[in-house]
Amino acid sequence: MDISRKWLADYVTIDCDVATLCDRLTMAGIEVEAVESAGGVPAGVVVGRILERKAHPDSDHMSVCRVDVGGGEVLQIVCGAPNCDAGNVVPVAKIGTVFQTPEGEFKIKKSKLRGVESFGMMCSERELGLSDNHEGLMILDPELEPGTPVDRLFPGDVRIEVEVTPNRPDWLSMWGIARDVSCLLDTEAKLPEVVVPECDTVLPQLVTIEATDLCPRYIGRVVRNVKVGPSPAWLRERLESIGLRSINNVVDVTNFVMMELGQPLHAFDLKRLSGERVIVRRAAEGEKITLLDGREVELGTRHLVIADAEKPMALAGVMGGEFSGVSDETTDILLESAVFFSSNIRATSRELGISTDASYRYERGVDYDMAELASDRALQLILATAGGELGSARMDVNGGRPAEKVIPCRFDRIRSLIGTEVSNERMVEIFRKLHLKVDEITGTGCVVTAPLFRLDLEREADLAEEVARINGLDRIPAVAVTGKMCGSIREDSYARLQALRDKVISLGLFECMHYSVVTLKSALSDSRFERGDLIELKNPISPEISLLRPGLLGEMLGTLERNISRRNLNLQLFEIGRVFCGNPEKFPEERYELCIALSGLRHPERFSAERREAYDFYDLKGLLESLFELANIKRYKFVPADDPRFRKGCAAEVVIEGKTAGMFGEAAGKFTDSWRTPYAVFIAQLSVDVLLGADHGAGHYRALPQYPATSRDVAFLAPAGLEHAEILDFVRRCKLPDLESVQLFDVFVDDKLRAAGKKSMAYEFVFRNAARTLTDAEVNERIEKLRGRLAAELKLELR
Amino acid sequence: MNAIIEKINRALAEAETRAAAATDKAAIEQLRIDYLGRNGLFPALSKEMGSVPAEERKETGRAFNAGRTRIQELIDGAMERSGSTAADSVTERPDLTLPGRRRMTGHKHPITMVADECVAVFRRMGFIVADGPEIEDVFHNFDALNTPQDHPSRDEQDTFYFPDGRILRTQTSPVQIRVMESHEPPVRIVAPGRVFRRDTPDATHGMNFHQIEGLYIDRNVSMADLKSVLQTFATEMFGSGVKIRLRPHFFPFTEPSVEYDFSCHMCGGKGCPVCKNSGYIEIAGAGMVDPAVLRNVGYDPEVWSGYAFGMGIERLAMLRYRIPDLRYLYENDVRFLEQF
Repeated sequence: MDISRKWLADYVTIDCDVATLCDRLTMAGIEVEAVESAGGVPAGVVVGRILERKAHPDSDHMSVCRVDVGGGEVLQIVCGAPNCDAGNVVPVAKIGTVFQTPEGEFKIKKSKLRGVESFGMMCSERELGLSDNHEGLMILDPELEPGTPVDRLFPGDVRIEVEVTPNRPDWLSMWGIARDVSCLLDTEAKLPEVVVPECDTVLPQLVTIEATDLCPRYIGRVVRNVKVGPSPAWLRERLESIGLRSINNVVDVTNFVMMELGQPLHAFDLKRLSGERVIVRRAAEGEKITLLDGREVELGTRHLVIADAEKPMALAGVMGGEFSGVSDETTDILLESAVFFSSNIRATSRELGISTDASYRYERGVDYDMAELASDRALQLILATAGGELGSARMDVNGGRPAEKVIPCRFDRIRSLIGTEVSNERMVEIFRKLHLKVDEITGTGCVVTAPLFRLDLEREADLAEEVARINGLDRIPAVAVTGKMCGSIREDSYARLQALRDKVISLGLFECMHYSVVTLKSALSDSRFERGDLIELKNPISPEISLLRPGLLGEMLGTLERNISRRNLNLQLFEIGRVFCGNPEKFPEERYELCIALSGLRHPERFSAERREAYDFYDLKGLLESLFELANIKRYKFVPADDPRFRKGCAAEVVIEGKTAGMFGEAAGKFTDSWRTPYAVFIAQLSVDVLLGADHGAGHYRALPQYPATSRDVAFLAPAGLEHAEILDFVRRCKLPDLESVQLFDVFVDDKLRAAGKKSMAYEFVFRNAARTLTDAEVNERIEKLRGRLAAELKLELR
Repeated sequence: MNAIIEKINRALAEAETRAAAATDKAAIEQLRIDYLGRNGLFPALSKEMGSVPAEERKETGRAFNAGRTRIQELIDGAMERSGSTAADSVTERPDLTLPGRRRMTGHKHPITMVADECVAVFRRMGFIVADGPEIEDVFHNFDALNTPQDHPSRDEQDTFYFPDGRILRTQTSPVQIRVMESHEPPVRIVAPGRVFRRDTPDATHGMNFHQIEGLYIDRNVSMADLKSVLQTFATEMFGSGVKIRLRPHFFPFTEPSVEYDFSCHMCGGKGCPVCKNSGYIEIAGAGMVDPAVLRNVGYDPEVWSGYAFGMGIERLAMLRYRIPDLRYLYENDVRFLEQF
């Protein structure tokens, strides 16, 4: 909402500058969002005294004046105004002054008017934006000192834009703001005096409320013989000061009073109301109305309308009808000041997508009592600006005044809640300054009655807020942080995820973060899922992006492709994130997944041969092995598997402690073939639950060996299809005493070997005894035995 | 003087000569092997010590120790002299400007960095991390939090719904409700997590973002306690000069409600482009838990009181790292990610 400082000052004395005012408002919960100077005399306009007036040598209507502008400076100014007589004190815009006009900026320059030089401009009231008067120069007080800046004499207005929270509809008016300002600045707030003529004409038929549940109060009154026309300057100025457009005097008055008091008003053209009456009722199903903005709307019983004897004339609380409003021909009006049920107005406004100043106030709740004062105030102003005479008494139809909330309040409880020392007396003072009624004050508490404009006040906690707010949140003391813990950090899942994430990062991967809502294509790129397994939103932002990600693959592919298209070819990425499944037979509804992606050069920062090494299958496998080592996962294996996510023959399932943990391998060509990269892409998708579940901690200490180890190398040619694991298994079965470890140190295949269906392999066998140093002879004997069995049973050609 | 002492003296004289002559590493190593090695003189002598008569043992032991120390000194001296000889220097100094072989270093996402940091700060203040589902029901996300039935935030315009009536949580506050439902007070938790709003992605909005929310319920908890926690958080996150400012505000689930600002960490509150010349940066909302919320989870508001606060992690990350557009956080360009 916009506040005009000048307008606000009609109700409350503001004895501070704008910055202070804004600060006080913000700190009281009326958050100032923008401040803008409006109107006002531009800088550079000063008081000048005309010393001499001479006729222009070359013009009938222009004069050449010499003007004292203070500081010993006398300017020659050519002027066309009739009243530029010597002795007059007038505003003078000196050279360089910039005027803001609707047509744009206008700067005063040294100029020549019909051959005579002029060093400035003497101004009319209109030129200074102070009034519409342009008949001659503005004549100032002759006592004024030449050189005095004129903006100091006629301060401009300031428009302050504030954010009003939904619990405080009473702040949606100048008067409501003024009430709080008076409390903040410790001054008095005063309503304008409202005096209206008496009228005995009772029109019992004028107002009927049928929908009493939706309209607790409707005040109607008739004004006859008004002259609809332009509004007076003061009224236009007030409306324009907060960005409203002037329409005509009657409509402007209703808008003015709404902004002044917060009560929306409506003026009907009485003669357009069939039967010269209004009925507040629910619309009939299918009933139609054409609104002020020209829209035709089909209504139902959920909508509240103001109808005449025949049809709806206005959408209650939201917008008037096209044909019932005040026009230039209007002479008699029905002035509406009503209270409508806020939820109904909110629903209608939202359903039809119409938000007006009136609906904005109604849907937050208006003050039952204010309807009456606002009606009188509008009447007073209509009679003053549009003439006419009162045609009826105030026809006030209502269901009775609602009860005010009575709130018992304990001073100690409030102090303990806000943690601030505030005296009992100060609390009572705050309540009273906020126009709340305070009774039954004792040493421990009081009873507060909340007026009907403060529907937000219901409980003690609400009063605590008022005390905290007005006393100042900056007065809440600084205390030491205290509190009781309520559990152990070991329990929290965040710590475990955090630890896992840190381990993955320590392996050199970059963490990514993707949105959870994805496209069908992204979701189904993870072939573990079918359409029916996916969880779909009812109201996605766009129909294409409507599914919760079932896995992290789809978006990771998107990130890989995006990076590659930006020529970021060397990628080592991961994400740990929540994924969703609608099929309980496959996965729980929410779970965490880890996705890893590798592609490009392993060491792009290195040089020579090392630089050319690209990531391959074993990089990803090794990365997983390292992760398992970091995560204390010991019982795992990689099982050959095929899956549409991966290139056939280049994928494996990861099994941890007998459970499927996920898969990894080279990403399928259907994903990567179109990407502009020479490098293969490797992907792993793992269940975070399985990883965390298999982490049994670091285990117990093992004694360090006391005696040296002895090692022997064995090299051989093996059939190409013989796997490393088979050799290890075989060796294990041989049960060589004191064999500590077996380490593969070379695998070699050249064209010749490949043609022969063979590969060359070399292993180092390390022997160690815990109690003594092994002799060479012992070790030789064992390795010879092993060589014999390798040759005989595995058919290896030993070298 | 017994035989052992004589042997030691002879060996010392011999070793002096040999050490003076030893210039290369091999000769020095041989010296060590001969006298101190496993099969050298001194280990052998130590085995003979047992046969020394008791009255000579003290003197012999002293000579043995002194001799062994002297031999070690001779070896060390020879090593030091040989160190400066040509044999131990390289002919060509490595080009120090060539790049070293670096380990590939991983990078944490800026959102995670900030979330982890927030969690760490609050843990130091005794908060435990709590968690809850992202697919929530309307009760936990709205009803229990005292959100009016026709509150705009419940609109399909603003909240993602599923056909079964559940929603994607719009805030981390339902975690508070779930914890309070299942725990007796006191409760002291923070809940970091992903939340969802039906916003079209732009520079400051996304379909999802992250919040961290705190809750403390106990006897006699006051706004002063809330302020102290927020002030501590501000200084831990943004530096000791950062002050907080509370402003009254309105939220359905707290009363009194506040918004809190941090004094601008860039300009120290003097005004700069980061704080739009206000000296303060709006962070988020907080307040004293509304009595209605306490009643909804079965806590007696006459006995228990508490505060809750929340903030957006993306917002903190954008402030901290001066990231101008929220979308960069979800694009995952490696040139962006490697900066953190």
